[in-house]
Amino acid sequence: MKKFFYFFTAFCLFAFAPQSNEADKLIGVWEPSHGKARVKIDKIADKFYGKIVWLREPNDPASGLPKLDKNNPDESMKKVPLKGYRILKDFVYSGNKEWTEGTIYDPENGSTYSCVIKLKDDNTLDIRGYVGIKTFGRTDIWKRVQLKK
Amino acid sequence: MKHYFILAFSACFFLHTQAQDSTKTSKEEEEDYSQYGDVEYVGSETKTYANAKINGLAPQRFASISWDAQGAHTLKFSDIGSYAPESTWTASEEGKVNYLGGLRLYANIPVVSSNKLLWQLGFNYAASNYQITGISPSSKIISVLDEKGLKTTGLFSTLYKPLDAKQFILVQAQADVSGDYSLSNPQSLRYSRYSAAALWGKRPHDRFQWGVGLSQTYRAGALNYIPVILYNKTSKSGKWGTEILFPARAHARYRFSTNSLLLVGYELEGNSYRLEDFSNSANSFELRRSELRPRLEFQKKLTGFFWVSAQAGVRLNYSFDGDNLPNGKDFFRGFTGQQPFAAFSSMTPAPYLNFGIHFVSP
Repeated sequence: MKKFFYFFTAFCLFAFAPQSNEADKLIGVWEPSHGKARVKIDKIADKFYGKIVWLREPNDPASGLPKLDKNNPDESMKKVPLKGYRILKDFVYSGNKEWTEGTIYDPENGSTYSCVIKLKDDNTLDIRGYVGIKTFGRTDIWKRVQLKK
Repeated sequence: MKHYFILAFSACFFLHTQAQDSTKTSKEEEEDYSQYGDVEYVGSETKTYANAKINGLAPQRFASISWDAQGAHTLKFSDIGSYAPESTWTASEEGKVNYLGGLRLYANIPVVSSNKLLWQLGFNYAASNYQITGISPSSKIISVLDEKGLKTTGLFSTLYKPLDAKQFILVQAQADVSGDYSLSNPQSLRYSRYSAAALWGKRPHDRFQWGVGLSQTYRAGALNYIPVILYNKTSKSGKWGTEILFPARAHARYRFSTNSLLLVGYELEGNSYRLEDFSNSANSFELRRSELRPRLEFQKKLTGFFWVSAQAGVRLNYSFDGDNLPNGKDFFRGFTGQQPFAAFSSMTPAPYLNFGIHFVSP
């Protein structure tokens, strides 16, 4: 009976122990290759979302006011501040260090693209936005950053 | 013992619940965004490369289908092989072109598209079908144009390589087969004509890029080597801009919105068209066609990544003269060469229209 108890305890620890969650490696703050913005990726329910948390040029050079999503084709969104804007939406971890089914929004032209994210290493992402099929797209490399300690 | 089971199970379940909670970030709390200005890279630093595009440019096209049509004009040619001085040539054939136009197809597919390298492969096809009346009885070239028309089919490759955050190199190579051929009577690839251009450029900021380079081109009809200047700029407001790849094309741009824009400028189109009827294995007779097209072009987003365009302008003839090329080998005349043409031509200006639908790039 004692052996069974140890076996049961070991089973429970294995079954319910915190698993090394590959999917959550996407969570964090990332910098696109152009270095003009930083994007914080969070998990909400089972999906991943990324919002702009920093802009190198936070103000519109024309107006001097905080940048708005002025290129958005949706009139009601044109006055939404870019800082805090969710540009990555609905990503689902599909295994093999890849997140799919999401979209990426480019505030510079107001377009939303299909997107796939690949974790190249723990601190590097390949982000490919595309139209229709992956051939018609462009890959950007994002680097992980963290708040200075 | 039963209590130990319950205790062990509860402990494990508690640990599992705690682990799940650590991944929950669903709370959309107010963030202090200022903290993200002071960060450090966890791994290697971001490497910035000059983007191939600038803000505000007309959307680049992955694929296009368009129809091009020129209005009425008069066309004249001298005798083939007369080699008369340009100042004294006389027309031996003439016709009134009531319609000149046809289908144009274009595709430009990215093979590699990353921030470090952009490599695209493309295809283009353009048909020029003629409807000519009043053809003089002795006509040779005009009769062939009326019966067969002209076609260009080509493949091209474009390489954009950013050197760093500001500098880039752009290289393009193209092979065209142009002539009076058809699907049932194709033209030998031996008569392909090759164009190429190489530029070095700078991209000082997101609204400006410029470059200088050299090209081997047929845009002036015959083989030529000319300097190339790239100058794309967008105003701070994003409304105004230029899109210039001189001398091939130059446009001023006005953007009504993110979904529509107007271009005002010109394009220089040209190629060397082999006419089978006046050629043989030892000689290729080729019309050196070059047209300057001052124009207005309106572009508008149709839906998603599909855009439509409408052009209206004037076609001005720069060259439609003929050369005899021994063994089909081309030669360089440039702007100052004295080699006489085998046939001279004249063509009156004509209005033209072009309508297209395009699948555009992100």
